[in-house]
Amino acid sequence: MLRLHDYVLSAECYAVRLMLALLGLAHERRAVDLYPGAATTPWGDVPVLEDGDDVVTDPGLILTYLARAHDPSGRWLPAESAAVVSRWLAFAATDLTALRDARRVAILAAPGDLDALNRKGYMALRALDDHLATRRLEGADWLAGDGPTVADIAVFPAVMLSHDSGIGLEDFPSLNLWQRRLRQLPGFVGMPGIPDYF
Amino acid sequence: MWVPIALGRDVPRGATRAVLLEGEELVVWRGEAGTVQVWEDRCPHRGMRLSFGFVRGDALNCLYHGWEYGAGASCRRIPAHPDLTVPPTIRAKAFAATETGGLILVDRDGTGGPPPLMLAGLPVASLAIAADPETLFQLVPATPRPDPQLVEATLDGVRFHLGWHVPGPGRIMLHALVLDPGAESRALIALHKLRSEAEARRAA
Amino acid sequence: MTAEPAALDQWYVLGAIGDFPQGQSSRRLLGTNLAVTRAGDRFTIESNGPPAAVRTDYGHLWTTLGTPARPVFDLPESRESDRRAVYCGAVTVRASGLRLIENFLDLAHFPYVHTDILGTEARPEVAKYEVEQRRDVDELWATKCEFFQPKAAAASEGGQISRYMYRVVSPFNVMLYKTPPAAPDRWDVIALFVQPVEPDLSIAHPYMLVIDDISTDAELIGFQQMIFLQDKIVLENQRPKLLPLQPGRETPTRADLSSVLYRRWLKEKQLRYGVEERTDLA
Repeated sequence: MLRLHDYVLSAECYAVRLMLALLGLAHERRAVDLYPGAATTPWGDVPVLEDGDDVVTDPGLILTYLARAHDPSGRWLPAESAAVVSRWLAFAATDLTALRDARRVAILAAPGDLDALNRKGYMALRALDDHLATRRLEGADWLAGDGPTVADIAVFPAVMLSHDSGIGLEDFPSLNLWQRRLRQLPGFVGMPGIPDYF
Repeated sequence: MWVPIALGRDVPRGATRAVLLEGEELVVWRGEAGTVQVWEDRCPHRGMRLSFGFVRGDALNCLYHGWEYGAGASCRRIPAHPDLTVPPTIRAKAFAATETGGLILVDRDGTGGPPPLMLAGLPVASLAIAADPETLFQLVPATPRPDPQLVEATLDGVRFHLGWHVPGPGRIMLHALVLDPGAESRALIALHKLRSEAEARRAA
Repeated sequence: MTAEPAALDQWYVLGAIGDFPQGQSSRRLLGTNLAVTRAGDRFTIESNGPPAAVRTDYGHLWTTLGTPARPVFDLPESRESDRRAVYCGAVTVRASGLRLIENFLDLAHFPYVHTDILGTEARPEVAKYEVEQRRDVDELWATKCEFFQPKAAAASEGGQISRYMYRVVSPFNVMLYKTPPAAPDRWDVIALFVQPVEPDLSIAHPYMLVIDDISTDAELIGFQQMIFLQDKIVLENQRPKLLPLQPGRETPTRADLSSVLYRRWLKEKQLRYGVEERTDLA
């Protein structure tokens, strides 16, 4: 049985919830309260996924683990796009963290320079929009490969929650259409800040 | 005055798109019938931005309470009161809009006269640039066209139609189309380069 | 913007007691910086002038920058020993605090903003409810509110018709009373204390006094935070950001009776902090 240690407002936990939903995987959720005591799990920060005796941490690793271990179709982690998928997983774990941090400052009054974080976050969104605009001219709709992959899932939450720190998608037409396509995937679920209607 | 605010390709049927035009928030959307609509981005009920709403069939619905607006901007359903016939006075604020040559244009102040007809181009991208139009067009040798806020320009050997609007001070959004089929990818690279140069010049 | 007497002469929350470390910390209220000093369970609060009044009621720290006509409102449920007091964490929202309160009073958004939790698109109707201004205590009440809810609370197993009452005790403090899944003859209390930082910037302090033996604290907090963050996207995207009191700026219907009464009450109090400037009163 899959068990997710989960915090409802965490963008990283949401990426895992979304992947589980898109793969149609039954699982149990253990709510971890991150406020105000910053509770955690025996294995560190959420998200943490237990699969029987196995424990996986780190959002990007959990996504690739689920795609490898629980998606017989292999379409979420296609071998022919492995390099591009890896690049965007790394992007989600580096460039996009500015948006995660900006959101913590904006919502939870965490310490940090909101304007500086938002500027970095804006440039990360621009890099995504540029890539998607280029892909569209090649007739492709997703970050890597012909269909959605774990790369799309890894970057989606930060893009969709950027409004929490005050960045809209007005400047990013290709991102706007990409997020809409992603939300149309069968099994899609939202989270607070990502409405179910679109 | 007619102002280009988006590429038609970027607002497919069923989609909404938020556009900032000189500080004013607009929603651009397209229903199933295919006609593009440009409204004030504000539901008259509680002021919620309609760009967060959702299109069903040929209507735009507000995310907050599901109020449904038809193509003429009249509210035709208030879900909290299913039996209510909605008074015709409840309506969103619609602007004159048209789509031509691959561009969506709006005439906010009603002074634009008959909608323009433009030469068709092939859409490349809309690009937000942190520079004012004067700075940008110093970098682009452009020939004005009779069409509103549209120029012809050649960048890195690619022939462009460039429409634009100003979201706010010190910013421009370019709407780029090319005339030669197959030139789109090269065109996008040229645009990204132009953006870097314009923003570097502004920083300096 | 400088706050006017109607805003100054109110009690405001500054946070849950547990959120204040020993020693000094800073807070901001009505555009004024405050230095909060905690020594054990004693608090002092200073701004520019003399020390501000301090109250520690309902597990929260309260202060005022004026001279309120009344003490901090009474919350009798806080004295019932079988209730669990749950602090849900402070959330910053880029909107007028009055917009937050008004949204809290709203039933009609449940199907669209809290989809499949507090409402469903299949049953969006808001039945007639009653509102009244209780002048003896200067409170607003909305009663006999009913709404179909697929998952009314953290411990809910299925859908139910929830009964609600709302109680507005001051312009920036409100609570709702709701039938809990476990005890249909009693009321859960969910409070929203709003700390107006600037006219268009607020900190929300949701707080619950609930009857629930099943859910963990993390589940209760998670549920309430989920609901509140679903509202945030709406609150930050209402235009204008400040609450308009000018007739004709927005379009109320019968479902908005409590909002209509709330706005009338704010006008009567001549409250302006967080209110859109009017152009019709020149």
